[in-house]
Amino acid sequence: MWYKIQRKIAPYVFIFPGVLFYLMVTFIPAIIGVGLSFTNWSIITPKFRWVGLRNYERLLTDDLFKTSLINTFRYAVWLIPGVIIVSLLLALLLNTKVRGITFFRTIYYLPMVTPIAVASVIWMWIYDRRTGILNYIIGLFGLAPRNWLNDIKTALGSIVVMGIWLAVGGNMIIYLAALQGISRSYYEAAEIDGAGYWQRLRFITLPLLKPTTLFIVITTTMGALRAFAQMNIMTQGGPLNSTTTIVFYIFQAAFTDLRMGYAAAMSVVLFLITLVLTFIDWKFLGKGVNYDAE
Amino acid sequence: MMLNNQQIDHSTGRRHVARAKILTVLTYVALVSIGVIMLIPFLWMVLGSFKTVREVMQFPPTFIPKDPTLANYKEVFSRLPFAHYYLNTIITSVIPTVITVLTASMAGFGFAKYRFAGRNFIFWLILATMMIPYPVTIVPLYVMAYRAGLVNTYTGLIIVSLSSAFGIFMMRQFCLTIPDDLLDAARIDGSSEFGIFFKIITPLTKPALATLTIFTFTGNWNAYMWPLLMVNTDRLRTLSLAIPLFNGQYASFPNLVYAASTMAVLPVILLFVFNQRYFTEGIAMSGLKE
Repeated sequence: MWYKIQRKIAPYVFIFPGVLFYLMVTFIPAIIGVGLSFTNWSIITPKFRWVGLRNYERLLTDDLFKTSLINTFRYAVWLIPGVIIVSLLLALLLNTKVRGITFFRTIYYLPMVTPIAVASVIWMWIYDRRTGILNYIIGLFGLAPRNWLNDIKTALGSIVVMGIWLAVGGNMIIYLAALQGISRSYYEAAEIDGAGYWQRLRFITLPLLKPTTLFIVITTTMGALRAFAQMNIMTQGGPLNSTTTIVFYIFQAAFTDLRMGYAAAMSVVLFLITLVLTFIDWKFLGKGVNYDAE
Repeated sequence: MMLNNQQIDHSTGRRHVARAKILTVLTYVALVSIGVIMLIPFLWMVLGSFKTVREVMQFPPTFIPKDPTLANYKEVFSRLPFAHYYLNTIITSVIPTVITVLTASMAGFGFAKYRFAGRNFIFWLILATMMIPYPVTIVPLYVMAYRAGLVNTYTGLIIVSLSSAFGIFMMRQFCLTIPDDLLDAARIDGSSEFGIFFKIITPLTKPALATLTIFTFTGNWNAYMWPLLMVNTDRLRTLSLAIPLFNGQYASFPNLVYAASTMAVLPVILLFVFNQRYFTEGIAMSGLKE
């Protein structure tokens, strides 16, 4: 009897803490956030009023919100192809019969395990106008030094480069795993048909990597949408808001201006954007992705 | 005729070998040059941590320190409660990691090996919730923590990372591969359900547990956004909060910043270098389709 009861209860006991701790910090705040977005709460006083859709209406006329969306979009549009190209290239290079794969893989992966706060600080010094190594290197090619993080033209791009550096290692490993999963028989058949390296890459490898690429595009998009630490540490959203991305602005609105309701409304919009973008990625890139292929 | 053919084969074969050699060399050139670019920030940091202020501020910069010194490391400890930041980071990394590995593996086992009412719905809810980007919930989450009086406490720092959807998912996948017969045999021998989990599942999923441990630990060690919100006293500051702050205060002493950064990065890098296999497996796993 006890044995039967135990088997009935056991699964709930097993999943309870994990599920509770997870939903407590994701699902529940998400619901509260939606509620919060209809209020004018400022956290200092417990008092707040329901303001209906006013926060959302205000978003439509908020120029900085528009700017932050455009900046986030620009950040993502540069980051995604950069990450894809470099990580795919590295994976293809490592998927040959070269020696020392483990060694190279270690090096490429190192940025992934580096604390983002520390990485941001180090890159600030690399970009430093006076003593930075980047200005020294471009100086060797006769180019004038720049104030990378303090120039509207280069600030966001500089953060993108660091973003690529950060993300390449992990995605390379994902590509590598996918490459190693491709059956050799495809290549052998193609070789018999006289296909060269580029043809095999173009007609076998790349099409078969499509699901992986889709996955990386989606995760990199998500990563770009939530970029925050770099902006907060390296540029504080400047110069002239040129690196104010959506999460940075949400952070400012909530914790500097204490406009919790307004920040919550922006968070809701960010979530909707994530959904739409994921759907678009899926729709466009997912075409021809066949998950039953194996 | 025979001979002729062989000769032709031989010469094209030789050309093939030559081409393959060139390709190998080119591959190495590419791998090494990208590797150097990837390493520059680390080299810059580590080499800079051994330089004097004078040297680190000069232009054109030196790469290898002219007269290397360990003084910077000592000075970091005298200027900052650095050991205390270390301790805070260890506390807020180790405790959530231990709890997450336990809760996630238990939940993964529960989802994989039992049929119960609501199983699919709850599992679906977790997967759907994974779609919500972390910053979206940060404002309401802060409000909850503020209301509960958790700002500026260790509990507040830790409470958001006691479970992980990735962990639950990964452990579920692993447990699915364990045959039911094994569990039934243990039941016949009189083992309780918890006995099964600790005596059979845990030993069999060791590689997955190691992967999860290392991933979770690294994530916690590197956490920035939540600690930034939770902490505004020096008492609770973690390394990820201290280093940027230190960088702001000691902007004219990058050598000290480099030394502090090196020390902050070292534990996770060592962890990674010695446990690479688990990292690679975990990452590859996150990219695998079901």
